[in-house]
Order: sequence, then structure tokens, then C-alpha cells
Amino acid sequence: MRLTRLSILLTASLVSLAALGQAPSTQLPEGAHRETVQRACSGCHSVQMFTGRRMTGPQWGTTVTSMIGRGAKITDDEFDQIVGYLATTFPLNSKAGTDTATTKQAKAPRKPSLIDQAGSNDKQVIDEDAAARGRTVYIAQCITCHGTHARGGSRGADLLRSVLVLHDRYGSTIGPYLAQGHPKAKPVELTKEQVVDLSHFLHQQIGDTLRTGPRPMLNILVGDSKAGKLYFEGAGGCARCHSVTGDLAHIASKYDPTTLQQKVVFPENRAITKQGTASRQHGALTVTVTPPSEAPVSGEISNIDDFNVSLRDPSGRYFSFTRSPDLKVEKHNPYAAHETLLDTYTDKDIHDVVSYLETLQ
Amino acid sequence: MKFFPTFFLGLLTFASMRAAYPQQPTGAGLDPAVLLHPTPNSWPTYNGDYSGRRFSTLSKINDKNVKSLSLAWLYQLPNMGDGMVRRLAGTPVVVNGVIYITVPDHVWAIDARTSRPLWHYEWASKGGIHLGNRGVGVSGNSLYFETPDCNLVALNLADGTKRWSKSICDLDQMYYASVAPLVIKNHVITGVSGDDLDRPGFLEAHDPETGVLQWRWSVVPKPGEPGSETWPNADAMAHGGGMTWISPTYDPELNLLYVGTGNPQPVIAGSGRDGANLYTESIVALHADSGKMAWYFQPSPHDTHDWDAVQTPVLFDGEMEGKPRKLLAQASRNGWFFVLDRETGKNYVSSEFVKTNWTKGVDAKGQPIPNTAKEPQIAGVLVAPDASGGVNWAPSTFSPPTGLFYINATQSYSMFYITDDSDKPEGWGGHESGHFSQAMLQALDYRTGKIKWSHKWETQGGGSGLLSTAGNLVFAGDPNNNLVALDATTGKPLWHANLSTAMANGPITYELDGHQYLLVGAGDKLFSFVMN
Repeated sequence: MRLTRLSILLTASLVSLAALGQAPSTQLPEGAHRETVQRACSGCHSVQMFTGRRMTGPQWGTTVTSMIGRGAKITDDEFDQIVGYLATTFPLNSKAGTDTATTKQAKAPRKPSLIDQAGSNDKQVIDEDAAARGRTVYIAQCITCHGTHARGGSRGADLLRSVLVLHDRYGSTIGPYLAQGHPKAKPVELTKEQVVDLSHFLHQQIGDTLRTGPRPMLNILVGDSKAGKLYFEGAGGCARCHSVTGDLAHIASKYDPTTLQQKVVFPENRAITKQGTASRQHGALTVTVTPPSEAPVSGEISNIDDFNVSLRDPSGRYFSFTRSPDLKVEKHNPYAAHETLLDTYTDKDIHDVVSYLETLQ
Repeated sequence: MKFFPTFFLGLLTFASMRAAYPQQPTGAGLDPAVLLHPTPNSWPTYNGDYSGRRFSTLSKINDKNVKSLSLAWLYQLPNMGDGMVRRLAGTPVVVNGVIYITVPDHVWAIDARTSRPLWHYEWASKGGIHLGNRGVGVSGNSLYFETPDCNLVALNLADGTKRWSKSICDLDQMYYASVAPLVIKNHVITGVSGDDLDRPGFLEAHDPETGVLQWRWSVVPKPGEPGSETWPNADAMAHGGGMTWISPTYDPELNLLYVGTGNPQPVIAGSGRDGANLYTESIVALHADSGKMAWYFQPSPHDTHDWDAVQTPVLFDGEMEGKPRKLLAQASRNGWFFVLDRETGKNYVSSEFVKTNWTKGVDAKGQPIPNTAKEPQIAGVLVAPDASGGVNWAPSTFSPPTGLFYINATQSYSMFYITDDSDKPEGWGGHESGHFSQAMLQALDYRTGKIKWSHKWETQGGGSGLLSTAGNLVFAGDPNNNLVALDATTGKPLWHANLSTAMANGPITYELDGHQYLLVGAGDKLFSFVMN
């Protein structure tokens, strides 16, 4: 479309005006590339959305990729910086991923467990040591009726959904409740300190139940590797572009199974290897622009919308065009075949292929 | 209060009334009766009127001259010194020459002519999720808004001083509040938000003068009540979710409120809540004075993909099966478009507006039948659309002149995983991961659900809310921060301005001193465009 002089001027003036002051946040912990994280993420949401999470590098990579899918504008370099910051600042500690009351508690430092912004500002700050002691109290006194996960059973209430527990701070409601005699048949007798410890344990469990809590991936390798090999070589058409002795050799030693599955289904998403490096998407989506009676230029897409297109050619030179009917724009998508597969393959096909690729250690 | 049976006809006659609306002093209050007949010099509710159409009868900005649209002013939210970058995620309300905008805990009144701030109110927060606030409700000399820490707050419209506040939910149960309150008659309607712990959703009516609770409709039934047969037990019901995230719409003639309800909980792992899980994921008609349900229609029975059916139920009159009907349409997050009779809930149209893969057709009521094979699995299952949905909360628009329903849609896929395989999952119990998406603006013929035109945006990303006008225009945000005006009949882009930040909610329009303005929030900036 052709632009009037007015709207070009208008757009230019808007950009310069809009660049005025976005205050840097003081919300994120210190760390390399904190500013990049702040800039890239806080355009759409507060950084508290994720500062309560604890995940591995690959998991953070998947999360950031998901944000790109929702419109975050992040370059390859920034992707590495952001995932690096998040994986370093908010790592998955040995506690996360093990959710049973019988697991030994790790002593990794941890932020308040009622994390994210959900809940009140005066929510309980979890003392990990106290929560570990509280777990022992829970196992000794409560687990028989209230269950392994404190989520209740036929004999006792769900303590994580209990409004009394949710209103509790450091034993403020649990203590008086127990002091009335609970259970009635054989009331438990806890010291003041044990009540506080139990409170920390229960609030810790509630925090882990929130959506910002740990998200352990379970075994996704349920496919039939033989069927996957057949699909790879046949109906899936994978072998047309890929080779298990070429580009996919030892692919399973590079990615964990979940990441491998994501690579198969959404190859345009960036992924993190077992070794902690990001797959490069640099130059994946390209464009060729041919101005009227001029030579075409090709390169990585910098930006493209209905009105403008910009690219960087292999030598690093930047080109920017206003789109018009006589400006020829051809997009090249190396993932087109994968995108077609989304409409055709079954979940069994996906599981089978991943199980097959997992044999390529 | 007096009723106007010709309300919807009345909207169509605005063109002839335009010169006749009375000019009130700047910053003056709003006669509640005006909410039945909003004048084009105002945008007095979240959706501009009770119908939820987000269609303006103004045509001074039109397909012939939109290229001459120019910037009147740009207002940037002040830096509050706390390091937070704020985002306008609500729809501005415009009454008597004053614009009222919000971010969580903050309200500003701004002179619509100059962008000069007239007052600012800050609520001292006790917590809650500060993701976004959808805006204010105005009636008489009062302004109403919700706070993340679960309060309904009434301010004096003239100076922003506080009149009263009422707690409307419990922070400790992980609720929060973000909805733009809707004023109808002598009720202030409030909804609640939150998707972190398994709690039941509800919609309430409060007294505009005192804030006292008038009625509460619970989204999930109690044992023995209608709908309870769609839950396995009382415990699942009591923790069944169904948040009321978005302002309802209202038909004054039928005196019915229409609200979309959110996803059931636990969100992803649904093994503990077998059944359709009524009235989550539903479009519900409620009697406005009692909160009693008149009918329901459920877009996503037993949802396990976070597809809140909270998208604005849009009200308009049209022809179906050869007769004039009172209709309601929703473009739902699950990728389906529905047209219902808003008197009875009878279904006329159920169709996909983007490709989906989770249904096995529709049942006798026109409700999609979920394919259980596409419920989340430990090993992952490929689902279209992703959890963000075919369209998220951002409002769609319906234009009576074109008869088209416009959706800023996303065609997408994601993998859904179960991460809690215990016998009693709680909270989410799973998540989605990975995306393929294609953003596109879809224009649907409401009579058939067929896509009249589709404009694909060049890149993936979220879509903004929409506005359509009698100037044969649709205004939309694209994934590259452009505000775009398109020909409403053909979908051809006619004009754009890059706002440097993505729009979240929809643009609005109003007339002031004989000029038509277009107002749009993007990030922490409010842009006012004018046709001179």
C-alpha cells in the first residue's frame, strides 16, 4: 500500500514520541542482561508474572518461545540473554519436581512460596527449614487422614483448599483450630513451634499447587519407535529433508525427550539443548524483495507487516521498504512442510517419531 | 426507571439525532437513563453501549478520508516512581468531554480536548494480580472500578475522591478483580478473576449508592441444583472455577444480562471433574433484578484447555429462518462462532472461525462435543487452537450495515501436557507448550458463520480488540504494533499508524465539538486521533 506523506510523517513522529521514558524496573534481581528481560517482557505483563517460577534452562527456553508465539519481539541474541538470565536467576532447584510428602526436603533458598502476585501482600513467607520440620509433623500427625499431598481423603479434609488454612498466617488460624481438639476422637497435641512449622509446610504445598509452582515433565516416551521409523521414512515424509545419519545424528544426546518432541512439532520455536545452548533460528525465515526495475535483495526478515518490510542480507546490510503493489515481496518459510504436518499427523505419529528419534543417542 | 422498548431501533437512528444531543458541562455526571441511549459524544460503558457491538454510528471518519486522520494528542501515563511499566488494558470511558482510564489500582480523568489530567486516584493495594484492569463504570456522579485486591471502589466523578469501597472476593483464596463494572438500572454488576487455586466463580449486583450486595449468581451449582448432575461430587463443584472475567451485556427490553463464564478448575487436569461442568464455559442469561438464570448455552463442555468462554456476548437484531429475531453472537476462545436467540438461548449458528481439531461435531443444542482424545495427556497431545485460543478476551465487533461479525483471530496449535498424574490433581495439573500460530482478521456473515473475508496478518502474535463504524471501517491492532483501518466490506487495509507498543483492548470513537475522534491505548500511552 502506498502511504501519504502525512501518514509517514505521523508514524515517524509517533515513534519518537513513544520512545520517551519507559522507567527501568527495580523488581528483578541483579544479573547479566536483566535490562533485556525487563524490556522484552514488561511490555505486556509485570515481571512478577514469572519471578516466582523455578525451571530448567530448556523449560525457560520453551516459556520464552511461547511468549514469542504470543507476539514478544525477541532477537536470537536477546533470546539467549533472556533464557540465560532466567535459568541463572530462577533455576529449578532439587526440591521442585518432587511433590510427595515423603521426599527429603532440599535446603535451596527459595522465594515466598505463595508466589507470583496471586494472593495477599502479607501472605506467609515460607521458611524452608520450618517447612521441612513441618513435613515431619505432618507425616507423624496428619497424613493418615489428610493424605500424602494434604489434598484430603475419605477421612479428612483437603488442607490445600481449606479456607481456614488459606487465611492462616504462621499458625494464626491453624493453632486455635487444633487447640479446640482435633480430631475429636484423639486430639493431636502440638507445641507452638510445631504449629508454625506445620503452617509453613501447608503454605509451601499450596504455593506448589499454583500455576507458577514447579511443573515436572513426566515420561513422554510412549510411542512405538519401529512405527516411528516407518513414519519417518514413509508417510511423514521426514526423510525427504532429514537424515538420521546426517543432520539428526545423535539428536537424542542433544535434546531431552520433551524438547525433542517440541523440535519435531514446532521447529520454528527455539529450544535449549541438554548442554544449555539455544538452537539458532538466525536466518530461518527469509524474504526476497524486488523493487520495480531494480535488482532483488534477499535476507533474514527484520520486520514485515502490511505496510513495510525490512531485512538484513547475508553481508549484514539492512534494507527497509514501504510496501506498494509494484514492490514484489516473496517470503520463504523452511518450516512449511512441518506446518502442513500439523493438519495431518496424529498424536500417535508424533509419539512414535519422537520415540524413534530418541534411539539416536 | 423508565424502559425504552425501541432501544435497539433507537441506536440505529443516531445518525439523525447527532446534532440534537445536549451539551453538558465538561466533567458533568451521567444520567443513568442515557445509558439506554448513549449519544455519539460519549462512550459511557466498557463496550460503548449495552449491546457489546462496539459499533459506532459516526461516519465523519470513513473509508474515503481515513488517510487524513491525524494525531490530536498523545498522553503518557505518569511514572509512579515504583519501577513498574504500566499497560492500558481497559477500554476508556468518555462522558461529557472527559476520558476515564485505568491501570490496576489507578484511575485518571483526562480532558478529552487537551489530554490534561484532571484528577488521579490511587488505591493502596493489599495484593492480588496486577496484570490488567478493564476500565470503569459510570452512573450519576459516581465512577466504579475494581482493584486487584478484590474491592469494588466508588469515586466521585467530579474530583476522584473516594465515596466507598466494598470487598467483593477473598485475596487469600487467590481471587482478584479486574472487570469493568457495568451499571444497569440501580445495579452495579461486578465479576471476579483468578485462575490459580480451585475456587468457584460468581457474578454480583451491588447498590450504586452504598455498594451493598443485591444478588449473587454462582457459576457452579450446589448439590441438588440444576447443573449439579454435570459434576461428579460436591467437592469438585465447590472448587469448579468459572471466573467472570469480562463485563456482561444487557438487553433492557428483556431485562436480561448476558455473561460468558471462564474455564472450569482444575484447569488442565480434568480427571477429578468428569461431566460437562456447568455453568463454566457458558453463555448465560440472567434476570437483571434477581440474578436468576433464564437460559444457558455451553460453548466448551468439560473444557481442559483454558478456553474461557468469556468473550463478550454481542447483541443485535437480525433475520434467522425468515423471521426477525433478537440475536446474541459470540466468537469463543475455543475457535467457534455461535449465534443464539437471546430470548430463549436457541442455537442458530455454530461454526469454526479458525481451524480446530478438538470436537466431534455438535450436539442437538448446537454445543460442540469435545473429542476426549484431545484432552491433555502426559506424553502430549496436539490441539488447535492453543490455550490463548482462536480469540482471547479482547473484544470483537459487529457492524449492522455490513452484517459482518469481525474477529481478530489466531489460527494456532500447541501441545497440551498433564504434569500432575496423582489421583487428585489441583490448580492446573498440566500446561501447554510450543506454538504455531497465524494471526488473521476474520469477517463472518452472522446468518451462516461463513467467512466473508479474511485478512492474514504477516506475522504471528496477539490480536487487539476491534471497533467498527458506519464509515465502513474496522479498526484493529496487528501483531506489529500497527493500528490499522480496514475497509469493513472488503478487508482492504486503508490506513495505519505504528504505536510502538501493542494495543490490548479495542479502540473507541466519539464526537466532540463537531469532530470525530479515535482513541486507542497502547502500552502506557493513550493516542487520540482526529479528523479535522
